Amino acid sequence: MNSPGVIAITGLGSFLGRTLVRRLLQRTPEIRIVGLDQRRPFRLDPLVRFHTIDLTEPTADSRVAEVLAEERAEVVVHTAFRSEPTADLEMDHELETIGSLHVMNACAATKVKRLVVTSSTMLYGPRPDNPNFLTEQHPLRGHPGSHSVSNRIQVESLLAQWRARNPDTEVTVLRNCWIFGPTYWDHVARYFSRPLVPKLIGYDPLMQFVHEDDSSHALESATLHPHPGVFNVVGQGVLPLSTILRIAGKRILPAPPAILYRMANYPSQGQSGDPPEGFYDYLRYLWVADGQRGWDAFGEPIYTTREAWMSFISTRRMRRYR
Amino acid sequence: MSDEIDLETPIDAEPPHVLSPELRDALDRLRGEIRTRFPERHRVPVETIDWMALIQQIQRRVSTLGMSERSGTVDEFGMDEIVLRRARPLLELLYEHYWRIELHGIDRIPDTGPCLFVANRSGLLPYDGLMVSHAIWRRRSKLRPRFMVADWLITLPFVQPFLARLGGVRACRENAERLIRSGESVLVFPEGQKGAAKVFRERYRLKRFGRGGVVRVALETRIPIIPIGIVGPEEAHPILFKWGAPARMVGLPFLPVTPTFPLLGPLGFLPLPTKWVIQIGEPISIDHLAPDAASDELLISRMNEELRSKIQVLIDTGLSDRSSVWD
Repeated sequence: MNSPGVIAITGLGSFLGRTLVRRLLQRTPEIRIVGLDQRRPFRLDPLVRFHTIDLTEPTADSRVAEVLAEERAEVVVHTAFRSEPTADLEMDHELETIGSLHVMNACAATKVKRLVVTSSTMLYGPRPDNPNFLTEQHPLRGHPGSHSVSNRIQVESLLAQWRARNPDTEVTVLRNCWIFGPTYWDHVARYFSRPLVPKLIGYDPLMQFVHEDDSSHALESATLHPHPGVFNVVGQGVLPLSTILRIAGKRILPAPPAILYRMANYPSQGQSGDPPEGFYDYLRYLWVADGQRGWDAFGEPIYTTREAWMSFISTRRMRRYR
Repeated sequence: MSDEIDLETPIDAEPPHVLSPELRDALDRLRGEIRTRFPERHRVPVETIDWMALIQQIQRRVSTLGMSERSGTVDEFGMDEIVLRRARPLLELLYEHYWRIELHGIDRIPDTGPCLFVANRSGLLPYDGLMVSHAIWRRRSKLRPRFMVADWLITLPFVQPFLARLGGVRACRENAERLIRSGESVLVFPEGQKGAAKVFRERYRLKRFGRGGVVRVALETRIPIIPIGIVGPEEAHPILFKWGAPARMVGLPFLPVTPTFPLLGPLGFLPLPTKWVIQIGEPISIDHLAPDAASDELLISRMNEELRSKIQVLIDTGLSDRSSVWD
């Protein structure tokens, strides 16, 4: 395996950044990793050189550029995104959009060899007029009710412009669908682990999940090997939402959209800062992505959608075994 | 070695009977005496119902109820084999006894390879797609064309999940091409919403066939087009006129006013038991065309018009052959 040089990871404390470090060090302990984050993560591996950088600061781009130049980083992995939407909309925009812009500017200044950015298939948006399988060329239409999705769409369009201006850097974008697994936790996992799961009555879209191992495997191989382009990182197979909930033995609270979309103060909704349709439309319409390009590049995923879901519910002990 | 394993006798076979007849008689006498001496121990217990166990059992049944009527997995477009198998008696009832469907020209379908079936659309709910795909499946057990469903039906609650489990797919070129590439036959209705929204006096007059997307899909995937004319469903849901205002409130393109629909309430959703005739036409082969024919717009529009007239001919012969709407 050719040595990829120094790898810089922004958002070291995020799930994907953390697992990437662990996987890289397990495979090649002599690999050199530079970590950047707002604060020092717990249980940081001593082999990782850590720098405290707040991407929301106005001068963050020059600070990142300094660090990248000082450490001679060749690969930058940008994972500094929130795993769940926050009610602080302004801060979210600062971190996700402007923070990504800072990282891109720093990469342009130091001429890194490769830039890997994680993204989400939620960016395609749940639409009744989506084809059953969305390819990477499909326009990112997002959802007007979800601010984190809108921010990420801005990031991707900025990144597309950046890529045109910096043709020497290989840019990889990994669009993950909803990640499930024994340790991954975000607002989607929290929604599904409630004892009583609200569900739109009369709608039963096909869902698609990816296991956390497959997701971090894709990120690892995109970091180590050149895979320029955009890839959907998804599991194989689809399952209807109702089957998913039945497998988990959930009690379902069926509600018509007219009522559910007015429950903006429902406990979990208040935290996200979005109106309810920003989340529930993803459980209403289809937004399944076509993973063939990603599977060709990174190998077939180990877990199917169903197995990813089973792994999640069995570790959370959701299934009521009788 | 003497301790060979005896493979002939199963492990849990009953031990050979070793009791001698005398011993058995003595045992029977002993049992009888015990019964006479201690009668109260052998009283038959009163049947009591264990309510807790019963409730638990019912709970278990209810919680697994949802899984028994569906498969653990669906195919990539959401079709569920178990739902389909369960719906088969109902489809068969509609086919044989309700609409008394006649199918002509099944031999014209090629034996191998996927095909693109093109039919005329009528009625709001896609009964025609369900019935044609069921009709072909009855005669050719290996072939079950996936029928395409208009966009706005996908947004309808309750209808869409049901249609997807039965094999309906949202009508768009990406889906059609993906299905054909994976070896499935597809049934399309190129009239789209215009066909479904025909009022009664326009019945059996084909509308424009989109912008030639059907022909383009066939040319790109190199599969034959098979025209199908369906006679009957137009009268099953005769739309007298369209009512716009209440439909826009619930997000429908229009509300059809049929002789039964707003008058009888939900009963009006029931289609009328007209007699249906499904005619399968000669396949339109595209093998003689050049591989780059998919970019020839004039050819596509000519083939599109040719396809439309072929289906119109199939419908017209079907109409002239029948004596009345009901038989």
